[in-house]
Amino acid sequence: MSNPTFDADGITLEQVREYVWEVPQEGDMRTPARVLASEALLEEIADDKTLEQITNTTHLPGITNYAICMPDGHQGYGFPVGGVGALDAENGCISPGAVGYDINCGVRMMRTNLTYDDLRGREEELVDSLFANVPSGLGGGGIVEAGVDTVDEILERGVEWAVENGHGVEEDLLHCEDEGIRTEADASKISQKAKDRGKNQIGSLGSGNHFLEVQRVTDVFDDEVGDAYGLEEDQIVVLIHCGSRGLGHQTCNDYLRKIEQQHQGLLDQLPDKELAAAPAGSQLAEDYYKAMNAAINFAWVNRQLIMHRTRQVFERVFDRTWEEMEMELLYDVAHNIAKKETHEVGVGPEGRPVRDGEAVEREERELFVHRKGATRAFPAGHPEVPDAYRDVGQPVIIPGSMGAGNYVLRGGENSMDLTFGSTAHGAGRLMSRTQAKNEYWGGDVQQELEEQDQIYVKAQSGATVAEEAPGVYKDVDEVVRVSDALGIGDKVARTFPVCNIKG
Amino acid sequence: MSFELRDHTADIAVAATGETLEGVFAAVADGLAAASVDDAPDDGARFSVSVSAESREALLFDYLDELIYLRDVRAELPVDHEVAAIEGPGRSDDKGDTWSLEASARGVPLAEIDAREVKAVTYSEMRLERIDDGWEAYVVFDV
Repeated sequence: MSNPTFDADGITLEQVREYVWEVPQEGDMRTPARVLASEALLEEIADDKTLEQITNTTHLPGITNYAICMPDGHQGYGFPVGGVGALDAENGCISPGAVGYDINCGVRMMRTNLTYDDLRGREEELVDSLFANVPSGLGGGGIVEAGVDTVDEILERGVEWAVENGHGVEEDLLHCEDEGIRTEADASKISQKAKDRGKNQIGSLGSGNHFLEVQRVTDVFDDEVGDAYGLEEDQIVVLIHCGSRGLGHQTCNDYLRKIEQQHQGLLDQLPDKELAAAPAGSQLAEDYYKAMNAAINFAWVNRQLIMHRTRQVFERVFDRTWEEMEMELLYDVAHNIAKKETHEVGVGPEGRPVRDGEAVEREERELFVHRKGATRAFPAGHPEVPDAYRDVGQPVIIPGSMGAGNYVLRGGENSMDLTFGSTAHGAGRLMSRTQAKNEYWGGDVQQELEEQDQIYVKAQSGATVAEEAPGVYKDVDEVVRVSDALGIGDKVARTFPVCNIKG
Repeated sequence: MSFELRDHTADIAVAATGETLEGVFAAVADGLAAASVDDAPDDGARFSVSVSAESREALLFDYLDELIYLRDVRAELPVDHEVAAIEGPGRSDDKGDTWSLEASARGVPLAEIDAREVKAVTYSEMRLERIDDGWEAYVVFDV
């Protein structure tokens, strides 16, 4: 009996196993493409250009096994959002477009020992104070204004710089990927233009879907892991979602243009110019990798500054020190990133990576794992999971919409086999921003959230609230259900917003 | 010259037309401004923008990239775009392989408006084509 298939406008997917769909390799594709989704999610994924974009990604040299679309995938530019592509770091390439403009856009969660009862009645005071003290929106400035020397130091030293300058404590480093510093970073590979854009934005949320949210833990699904993460029901936590701001956006475009000028031959083989890639080992690939790592450090500092400012706001509102409120970083995840990682892959008789059934042996390979709108989800025991969580697996933070809540997962035991150690990054957009503005009015959304769900929202612009209305997102519960069922990211806890500020 | 904002799941696309190449460039730039803010007030001084690149499409890309850069460093949203002249191979004042443009815009202080941050111009699905009575362009912006 042949496998079930799914027909999307011109592309037929075959079901390989439950929740795993495959676009067979044909034409100039170097590997098949895979989509991890339930049928309900696949219907939505098939609705825009996501499938075409994930298929295009398989044209990149060095793509290993498959290009993979996560359950929350949607159309992006070049590489879809929710895309994972592992490109050989020796014979493949690295693609700025497959990382995305907002290098190290990501989320971090901070614990507190406050309960929802401690907060009730003070929501408005807290949301107003957060909004007044955490820069957001376009042109809102940053928590620190830096000269060029400081920007360079941030780019090369990451969160270490922040801690040394009073924006955090040593313990913060222990709960951050790579302890908050990418040592491969080189500030000289970031253009002056990018630094000029970034220097007034250090410690700022930006606009669009970026936000800071005070949340309450509504469910803990796994007591053992919840305990290791320090999460319990009714507890107040803070979630911060933002990235590398103008500095990262400019860096992406600077390198896209350089690749266009220097590696036209490779570009001509690709179906979408936005996938532009630098061949592994080329000067440009090395320069981009160093620049991207510097932008990663910049984004970490950005989130660190906002987190530390949030501690100070809580101190004023609750009249206690942040240490008394045990406001500690739980974890920080990146969801727009490429990292050189070592993965075990199946290789065929000719020593080249092949798929499951065709492998004669398994070998370790260095890969540039591109995760754009996807989160690293390393399982328990993996050496790159920080000591604090090594026994239970890496925390994965999945922001949902304002109405549906958010999840904390842990890296699942199948993630290394299925997704190069990755899972979803959020709910995934369903409705375009222009459509959202026609369907919703910011004021109504704000009032409804406050009256029905006791969620206090404050934004620079009403349009932003309309564009981020709960109805514009996919069902985060379904995304997480599929991640959990596949064993790539397991459900640990769920949180629900109380206060939300955005640009 | 005119533009329309088009639906794109996560981002925003601008479809523009112009009787001339200069006209379509300015129309895309006006689309970028409209994607940033619904209504801009009338104040702010005009400033000039010069860009050069190796091809016509790259010139459009770099022009839009420059406008986003200038927005951040000047803390002003560029609106009311005018593209005075585009020079390049095959055009009246051909100067070899390089394309260049001279343009201007009015900078509305960001402090006076609640503008959305358009992060970047993208090459994804970008089109810049001659049509019967002028030019048309399609550009996707990351927001």
